[in-house]
Amino acid sequence: MLRYVASRLPSALVVLVVASILIFGLLRLVPGDPATTLAGPDASPEALAAIRSALGLDRPVWEQYLHWLGSLFTGDLGRSYLIGGSIADLVLGGLLNTVVLATAAVLLAVVIALVVGVGAVLTRSRWVDALVTGANTVALALPTFVSGVLLVLVFAVALPILPSGGVPPLGFAARPDITAQYLVLPAICLGLPVAGSITRFLVESLRTELAQPYVLTARALGVPRRRIVLFQALPAALPSMLTALGIQVGSVLGGAVLVEAIFTWPGLGSLVEQGISRRDYPVVQVLLLLSVAVFVLVQLLTDVAHAALDPRIRIGGSV
Amino acid sequence: MTAVQDPPVAVPVAAPDVRDDVGVGVPRGRWFAALLRGRGLVGTVFVGVVVLAGLLAPVLAPYSPLQQIPGANLLPPDAAHWLGTDEVNRDVLSRVLYGTRVDLLVLVTAVPLGAVTGSLVGLLSSLSTASDVVAQRVFDILLAFPVLILGIALAAVAGPGLTTVILVIALAEIPIYGRLLRGAALRVREMPYVEAATVVGAGRWWVLRRHVLPNAIEPVGVQVTVSLAVAVFVEGAMSFIGIGIRPPDPSLGSIIADSVTALDANPGLALGPLAVVTALVLGFLLMAQALAAGRRT
Repeated sequence: MLRYVASRLPSALVVLVVASILIFGLLRLVPGDPATTLAGPDASPEALAAIRSALGLDRPVWEQYLHWLGSLFTGDLGRSYLIGGSIADLVLGGLLNTVVLATAAVLLAVVIALVVGVGAVLTRSRWVDALVTGANTVALALPTFVSGVLLVLVFAVALPILPSGGVPPLGFAARPDITAQYLVLPAICLGLPVAGSITRFLVESLRTELAQPYVLTARALGVPRRRIVLFQALPAALPSMLTALGIQVGSVLGGAVLVEAIFTWPGLGSLVEQGISRRDYPVVQVLLLLSVAVFVLVQLLTDVAHAALDPRIRIGGSV
Repeated sequence: MTAVQDPPVAVPVAAPDVRDDVGVGVPRGRWFAALLRGRGLVGTVFVGVVVLAGLLAPVLAPYSPLQQIPGANLLPPDAAHWLGTDEVNRDVLSRVLYGTRVDLLVLVTAVPLGAVTGSLVGLLSSLSTASDVVAQRVFDILLAFPVLILGIALAAVAGPGLTTVILVIALAEIPIYGRLLRGAALRVREMPYVEAATVVGAGRWWVLRRHVLPNAIEPVGVQVTVSLAVAVFVEGAMSFIGIGIRPPDPSLGSIIADSVTALDANPGLALGPLAVVTALVLGFLLMAQALAAGRRT
């Protein structure tokens, strides 16, 4: 197991390092000089030089990169020059909100996938099957910005029963009922495509499992079909659903940008959006790297979990 | 001893006609016919109607997409303005029609750009181990950027706009087609008929052209329809958060973004563009499903 994890690490590290160089390099190419932006158009050359040396902009690029990389590890990310405040505080503030939203969305998606997927396989009714396929296609086909706007239209404008956006004013823990009201629409919006995707994987791998010889044997021995689905096919089908979930969760920050914009949810996604619209590139830089790091980490965890659940992978190398 | 000196017996193998093993039993006409029945037909109709509406926008649109009509502020849908008017007195139907055109432009440029580049990189890199390893790492890195995050990074550097949207979609598609073609190349290489071809002296190029490409056509076809759906989504998402098509130019995403700011004053405004985006994405996905199902049977 450890050896398997170790074999996956180098390529993950390569991706992370190259991505960090790309992100750092790309944002150096942005037209405009941060020193001029900070000091204003009429600053004297001396003032500009002072700001440059304070920000380290007069040092060689590779030195600036290493310094930036080091600062990521110490947590001292510097100050945001346009939004204001320290970048670390901004990121931490948004992180909690995004993590709460993403967790709710993923939990929702997993519950939907298990109920709908197992239900569809258990009933074996053509109608249920067609319904699941149809709902699934629609869940996948509705872009987040479409489903989000529709949810607001229906549940906040037409029937004003839920808040159209924002976070619970008293924090998440104070009043769980109010928290749920604020959380339900954005969580559905973010979780719906995830649910659609993992449900499809679950149904397909359940069907594959049910076609295996051991199922026939169990049936011949008189084990009820429901029991086989729940206790034999489902555990065997879970790893592939987990992989699909991992891919979706890895890109959750991308979806969060949209969902947080629609529901004015002050998380990392809206921080990225603010950073872009106000050209606050040090903030954007950190968030881009964070997004890639989350993606790589989730992939790694998914692979490891998959290997832990499926011995063929860690022994055989490739299946 | 005598056996060794015997003249080699002519092996009774019929000279293989190259054409026999190329198509691998794909009746191509029947495969595309999947688009004309069942859900494939539904998808084709959805996409067809939207494409026609976009192409005919100059004929169909009652107003110019940028024209501000005096006194027509945030009107609900009625006979004069089927989809209502927006905050700055523009006719939403005309904007949706012209916005659809912009989306079609994105589709016909970005998707082929990404598909062709990705396929070429995937095919060519599979020719040697070194280039294969490098290409795989590059694909890994590209895939580590969720598409909207990639859009944000590029918009920061190149600025928002049509070109950025096209570039982002193409870049996001490259690793997908690269992996697809590489996979096809590796799988086909293991096939007995390709081994046989190599033994009788077929070169790597010949194998690529005669065996790998024909085998990859169908999965690439399915992927293209999926990519078209993704492209509509990416344009919409980028324009929605302000890093795509810039106002006042219409695009499906920017019209939805406009309508959201007026959601309380005029809820009906969002419905038109939402319906068009949904019809396009759903249509392409249904086509993809039909094509994929057509492959299996």
